[in-house]
Amino acid sequence: MITIPPYLKKGDTIGLVCPAGFMPVERVSECIRVLNENWGFTTKVGTTIGRQYHYFSGTDEERIEDFQHMLDDDNVKAILCARGGYGLSRIVDRLDFSRFKENPKWIIGFSDVTVLHSHIYRNYYIATLHAPMANAFNEDGYKNEFVQSLRHALEGKKIKYQVPLHEFNRKGEGVGELVGGNLALLAHLAGTDSDLKTKGRILFLEDVGEYLYNIDRMMYQLKRSGKLDKLAGLVVGGFTDMKDTEKPFGQTAYEIIRDVVADYDYPVCFDFPVSHEERNYALKIGVGYKLKVGKNKVALEE
Amino acid sequence: MERKDFINSSVGALAAASLPGLSKFNVAEGETLFVAPPALKTNDLIGITAPAGYITGAEIQSAIKKMESWGFQIKIGETIDKRDFTFGGSDEERAKDFQQMLDDPKIKAIMCARGGYGVVRIIDKLNWEKFKVKPKWIIGFSDATVFHSHLNRNLGIASIHSKMCNSFPDDWSIAEPIQIETIESIQKALSGAKMNYAATPNLQNKPGTAEGVLIGGNLKMLETLAGTKSDINTAGKILFVEDTGEYMYNVDRMFWNLKRTGKLSQLKGLIVGGFKIKVDEDADDFGKTLHDVVLEKIKAYRYPVCFDFPVGHQRNNYALKCGVRHRLNVSVDNVTLKEI
Repeated sequence: MITIPPYLKKGDTIGLVCPAGFMPVERVSECIRVLNENWGFTTKVGTTIGRQYHYFSGTDEERIEDFQHMLDDDNVKAILCARGGYGLSRIVDRLDFSRFKENPKWIIGFSDVTVLHSHIYRNYYIATLHAPMANAFNEDGYKNEFVQSLRHALEGKKIKYQVPLHEFNRKGEGVGELVGGNLALLAHLAGTDSDLKTKGRILFLEDVGEYLYNIDRMMYQLKRSGKLDKLAGLVVGGFTDMKDTEKPFGQTAYEIIRDVVADYDYPVCFDFPVSHEERNYALKIGVGYKLKVGKNKVALEE
Repeated sequence: MERKDFINSSVGALAAASLPGLSKFNVAEGETLFVAPPALKTNDLIGITAPAGYITGAEIQSAIKKMESWGFQIKIGETIDKRDFTFGGSDEERAKDFQQMLDDPKIKAIMCARGGYGVVRIIDKLNWEKFKVKPKWIIGFSDATVFHSHLNRNLGIASIHSKMCNSFPDDWSIAEPIQIETIESIQKALSGAKMNYAATPNLQNKPGTAEGVLIGGNLKMLETLAGTKSDINTAGKILFVEDTGEYMYNVDRMFWNLKRTGKLSQLKGLIVGGFKIKVDEDADDFGKTLHDVVLEKIKAYRYPVCFDFPVGHQRNNYALKCGVRHRLNVSVDNVTLKEI
């Protein structure tokens, strides 16, 4: 059985870090305020919040030190990555998870944070939280159901998402541990020690700003590395801001994905609210879910 | 090649498993038995096909004329002038055309007319049985890296990484000498001459000498083949990489993929070709050069490394024989790569 970190109680501490790209303090302050004042947690703001080293939120060493500190501090019950960007691939092998293994805590984020989700699931078999990050709290975003779903997840409420139908959906029911994240990162992790195992699991995917041919190429990579043939189900999230070449690729991202998995018979749902846009529900990676794709409704529940 | 040079290649495993007295598990220390297809002779036939992006018949005329001037004959595949959106025909059409060329005993070499995207969609549909028995040269780069890598991993047959039909100039009179020279290097490679190359010394190079089978190609393609059955095996080999149109952060991420998949730890040597890097937006200044990105990944290793090698999406892109043994020599004032 996968290890589920303890859910958070009032007053528990959430650590905030920037393990990848730089983020100015003023973009994080609303998140900190809401966590403290509205959600009743306390926060510990890491040294990488607001720090900048070129593109990054600090040198590799600074980012490692900050993250390591949060991993090892027993008072910190969850670590919220304030933003993604790029940078976890550079430091993941230098993080020491031995204390985290003894004292698991929730690690929260998406996009580049897919590296951590995948790495921790594969190597330590501890659940993590794929969820909105600091920027989603801004401009009253914290009031929407997506950011609220993070709060519910942290408080241990069982999550059941009911989502709209999509014409490409393939009906069926699947049960398995939920794994996945950003497609480009999952492709990038292929063959490494952080590579995802998908057999018997429900896989979810999302991506942003990629060329359509590259979506196709990455889906073929998943297929050719045996990651699509034995799924319990597939949850296709947002594929937003897709780019096309001068000579059009001729298929949308959803058509590409539909075709790549056409040979299999597990349930597939499209346009699930997990994405780089506002529609981004918190999902517990490694936790068992049931995916029901029906004629009249689609549901994903713990 | 020294026996210890070679670790864990399925090619070696296949080759040695067929030898009496060797079990499958002993071959970890076996010899990589790469086969080089026969050199081409005058009047030999070269097939031109479009396994990825589409191309018109008009666009390959210059290549046809040039290769005919080398004394070869040309067979134009059915995918030339065919188009299915960005592809040179549907997957089935591209696979069929390539298969015909693989199976036609008269065809001695197959040149990919251009790259683009698409080989990965057809590679698993191809049947290599006849090709294995009678190997022929497969020529191309960029997206055609899929072929080089697949052959390296599964078949142990050499191939040619070089310019393709779309790089042959329409007007030779205004072509730069380097352009002509690199195209002529394809003829040299096809006709069985031993290759040798020189690169401009770079202060960031790591000196040393290495001998091993040359393998490599487009870095992005190598990353997207990771974990698949066409994943490249680099142990004991000299690896070359090139790429174009990627942001520095992504080049960095791809080198991490090489490192984290164990592809850099057992190399004999590393050759860094051309990298056309997309310029960062101001706020996204990555703060590291290509040299930084490469050298930090390999600082624990002692093998020679050279930058600015003439291979890539650029004029100075010489034909390189993948799967053939080479000697790389990197010194402060001299860089050479020689087929041995």
